Amino acid sequence: MSADELRAISPLIVLGAAALVALLGITIRRSHRFSALACVVGLALAMASLFLRGSAPPPGPLLVADDFAVVYTALVLTASFAVAVLASGYMARRQRPEELYVLLLVATLGAVVLVWSGHLVSLFLGLETLSVSLYSLIGYTRTGPRSVEASIKYLILAAASSAILLFGMALVYAELGTMVIIEMGPALAVASGRTLVVPGVALMVTGIGFKLALVPFHMWTPDVYEGAPAPVTALVATVSKGAVVALFVRLAWALGAAGQAALLVAFGIVAAASMLAGNLLALRQDNLKRLLAYSSIAHLGYVLTAILAGGPGAIEAVSIYVTAYFVTILAAFGVVTVLSGPDGDADRLEEYQGLVWRRPFVAMVLVLSLLSLAGIPLTAGFIAKFAVIFAGVRSGLWTLLAVLVISSAIGLYYYLRVVVVMFAAAPAASAVAPPVPQSSRVLLLCLALILVWLGVYPVPLQGIAWTAASSLARESPPVTTPLGPATARRP
Amino acid sequence: MGSIALLLLVALPLAGFVVLGLAGKRLRPAAVAVIGAGSVGLAALDALGLLVRFLLEPPEARVIRQTLWVWLDTGELHPRLSLLLDPLALVMALVVTGVGFLIHLYSIGFMRGEEGNGRFFAQMNLFVASMLVLVLADDLFFLYLGWEGVGLSSYLLIGFWWRDEKNGRAARKAFIVTRIGDAAMAVGLFVLFQGLGTLQISEVAARATAAWRVGAGPAVLASALLFAGAAGKSAQLPLQTWLPDAMAGPTPVSALIHAATMVTAGVYLIARMHALFELAPDVLAAVAVVGAVTMLLAGLSAIAQRDIKRVLAYSTMSQIGMMFLALGVGAWSAAIFHLVVHAFFKALLFLSAGVVILALDHEHDLFRMGGLRKELPLAFWTFAIAGASLAGLPLVTAGFYSKDLILWEAWASSRGGPLLGAAGIFGALVTSLYVGRVILLAFFGERRTVASVRPGRVLAIPLVVLAGLSLVGGLVELPPTLGHAPSFSWFLEPSLPAATAAGRRSDMAILQGLTSLASLSGILLAYLGFLRHRRADEELPLVGPGVTGILASGFGFDALYDLCVVRPLTRIARANSADALDRIFEGLAALVGLTHRALCRTQTGRLRTYAAAMVVGTVVIVGIAVLR
Repeated sequence: MSADELRAISPLIVLGAAALVALLGITIRRSHRFSALACVVGLALAMASLFLRGSAPPPGPLLVADDFAVVYTALVLTASFAVAVLASGYMARRQRPEELYVLLLVATLGAVVLVWSGHLVSLFLGLETLSVSLYSLIGYTRTGPRSVEASIKYLILAAASSAILLFGMALVYAELGTMVIIEMGPALAVASGRTLVVPGVALMVTGIGFKLALVPFHMWTPDVYEGAPAPVTALVATVSKGAVVALFVRLAWALGAAGQAALLVAFGIVAAASMLAGNLLALRQDNLKRLLAYSSIAHLGYVLTAILAGGPGAIEAVSIYVTAYFVTILAAFGVVTVLSGPDGDADRLEEYQGLVWRRPFVAMVLVLSLLSLAGIPLTAGFIAKFAVIFAGVRSGLWTLLAVLVISSAIGLYYYLRVVVVMFAAAPAASAVAPPVPQSSRVLLLCLALILVWLGVYPVPLQGIAWTAASSLARESPPVTTPLGPATARRP
Repeated sequence: MGSIALLLLVALPLAGFVVLGLAGKRLRPAAVAVIGAGSVGLAALDALGLLVRFLLEPPEARVIRQTLWVWLDTGELHPRLSLLLDPLALVMALVVTGVGFLIHLYSIGFMRGEEGNGRFFAQMNLFVASMLVLVLADDLFFLYLGWEGVGLSSYLLIGFWWRDEKNGRAARKAFIVTRIGDAAMAVGLFVLFQGLGTLQISEVAARATAAWRVGAGPAVLASALLFAGAAGKSAQLPLQTWLPDAMAGPTPVSALIHAATMVTAGVYLIARMHALFELAPDVLAAVAVVGAVTMLLAGLSAIAQRDIKRVLAYSTMSQIGMMFLALGVGAWSAAIFHLVVHAFFKALLFLSAGVVILALDHEHDLFRMGGLRKELPLAFWTFAIAGASLAGLPLVTAGFYSKDLILWEAWASSRGGPLLGAAGIFGALVTSLYVGRVILLAFFGERRTVASVRPGRVLAIPLVVLAGLSLVGGLVELPPTLGHAPSFSWFLEPSLPAATAAGRRSDMAILQGLTSLASLSGILLAYLGFLRHRRADEELPLVGPGVTGILASGFGFDALYDLCVVRPLTRIARANSADALDRIFEGLAALVGLTHRALCRTQTGRLRTYAAAMVVGTVVIVGIAVLR
């Protein structure tokens, strides 16, 4: 490989190297400070190298580093960075914190490979790198039985779904003769009438749907969200899902060029079921982590709706939604993290009673993020939901939009319920929560500011999302979605 | 340069709000005062700088436009956050920041030692910032944001002493009553957008004149709805009932509401949209009549009030009515001129009344004051100056010039007439009558309550500055009979068309004589009625207790609304509490709850269920995909 080619994949190299450094550091001498620092610095360097990597494309067909990939990589790296900051405060009160950072770096590496993958092989490698790290991360604390239970559940179900995904990929390859994603569209156009492609793609959806926790592959979510340590839950909610969304968009874009009406019906049902089931399940949930887990099912349903809308405008909407969701959910789990004492995570709703009066700063961050999740104007969540609905309207997905609106209305109930609990009078004898580490406090403040900033001044985000979407559109030009020609939004 | 200064004008008070809102509790009171008053003070300096810049430029160059960003970009609708500074907006901004700053300064002394100082100044800054957004917006969407911001901050500040249930009720009343107008205004914006496809103010004016002829249906509808919005915010009939109750807030808040922000918003809106209103002459006539009637009813009510702040509240209503009268006859710049002068003397009236109230330990009752002239000389002199200006004492006060201009226009312009002119002159008489009564009752006669606190220097500075402005502020616009130097109207000329009144100079002189006579005889009547034959009870001389009661209750609008709107509504609501339609929604809620419980049963926590769901789901998806 030439130097230019090495430079082109430098973010991956930096992440791998950082994981190695952290691992070697642990073997020499355990130091929480060193491991956390290695992780944070590694992520920052990876971010820097993302923008300094030059214009050469990555070698071989496995990886694609277009603008779309860059945007999602930046998102993934930023989210991992936030998780690392949160974890450093969280793990300071717990045993053996060091290996978490190694696993975090490896999981990030897997997620970035997933985002960059232009080939089924790299897709699978990235997905497995991510999953295997997550198995151990979810069960990391080992103190509570729930943590181990969650880890085992995730391990078995993820392994099964990966097997199904692999089988689907085999069917697709058998029929199309290519594993390069952007070559699939043209191959599919030639190969019309060959029936194995459709079940192949449908099977691949199981693997993807599992990671995104779409109905009917959603059932692990509440158990895993609840059992995993709070920073890891944030990781599962952001990095893992965002990377898979990026991959899904890439796949859908390539295959959508010769789309299959039957698949669309199936996806539409999945999206509608996710939106409804997610919001309904969260309705009277008394555990905040489980509540956010159910809510994530619904939010990924919204994202799927945008993906189904088709066209560059829809991809833009997806990117806007994912960004807003990242910021919002990181803020929410950030609050859960800083409130969690050494004997377990602060997840029962009664622990939040009167939080506004006891811990005003932290409580206001959580209120903001709940309002954003509910899609109230002047928050990022409103802009994001607006973008999704706008994309849906342009493609005429009226049924899905109706479901979206109804389920959002249901969602409002449980988000506001939490807000109401936080504003209630504080209980007389409330547990003394741990002090918030300075780094986490700064992080939460930044997230809250970004959350409002995106809601008030969404123009830069829209510009970035549009750049990402149009780079994807350039790579496979024949843009005819199954729902008619996509309308380019801006000249 | 100019655009940065324009941005700062809004950004400074907003920054003050953000800082105080986030950190107000942790800051020392001195820091809170510096940030709270300083942010508005810097904005006022900024506005002054912009004024200098405008004066140095030729009239046609006196405009700065700045689009900050487009909030959402969707097909037809592009809600823009954009600012426009023209002479009209600058005059408003000067009033909002200048008078606003003096009130902030005063608040430092007035609110000393109060609980929640940070909250107070944060909300005051928000109030000023919202008002600035309102007057500087170049897009009706953005203007509406400021409009609602004003409503929100007035709600917060009226209910500032929220521990008293009564104040909370007053705050809610203000919010709900103005909300009626706001809703009408929102519908008006929809009508405009529907008909013209834009909400940008200058575009609206241009397209409306091009697309609609005079008296066209949509123009009448839109301007009537905007008028309803303006009437709500400016406390005009029939949406005026909130204003007297709004006195529940601290006195500086009342000053801010009555002088610099809030109630002037309606006047500004109509002046700003004058091109639209000119397409609807009937609506303009209604504006004039509503203004005149409000002026008279409120003025008469002011005569019978016991509470010094309620007198001032009715007085504001009445004076704003006069401005509406001016707007209705097309005297745009005269209305704005009176708005500015009114801001000076009304702020001063409230602030010096605040000194009295503070000195008498929160005593509002006029009949328990008296003889305060010697004890509180500063308050007496400033109150008297402001009162003289309000009464329009000839030649020496600013109020004379501005009021006179309106009366002349009401009399002589093509849209006015003798009836409106006569109403105006009668209004002037009533005004000086109630002003005289307040001054005589509070500051003359025998002493009833001993003053305990004397104003400090922080309280004194704003009083003196405003007193100066109340006297000489009128000299910027001299009528033809007295030197003819209408520089204020000239300055506003790029924004507002010149007045239409045409008449002989001798007529004008006669009218000025009449007005002066009315003003002086009002004071004389007050002297005869309230000082010479001072009575212990609150009954007015000559008219008897019945009329006094009607006047004191503001012509019974509260009771009327209670009888016609509130009680029937609550009765219907109570009778219909077992509404059949509710069953649908209860049913929906029950259904949602049921599905929730059913779905929860699927979350067994057992791995085998989860795996089974996954496998069945896969099979179903593959089935759908293959079989279709």
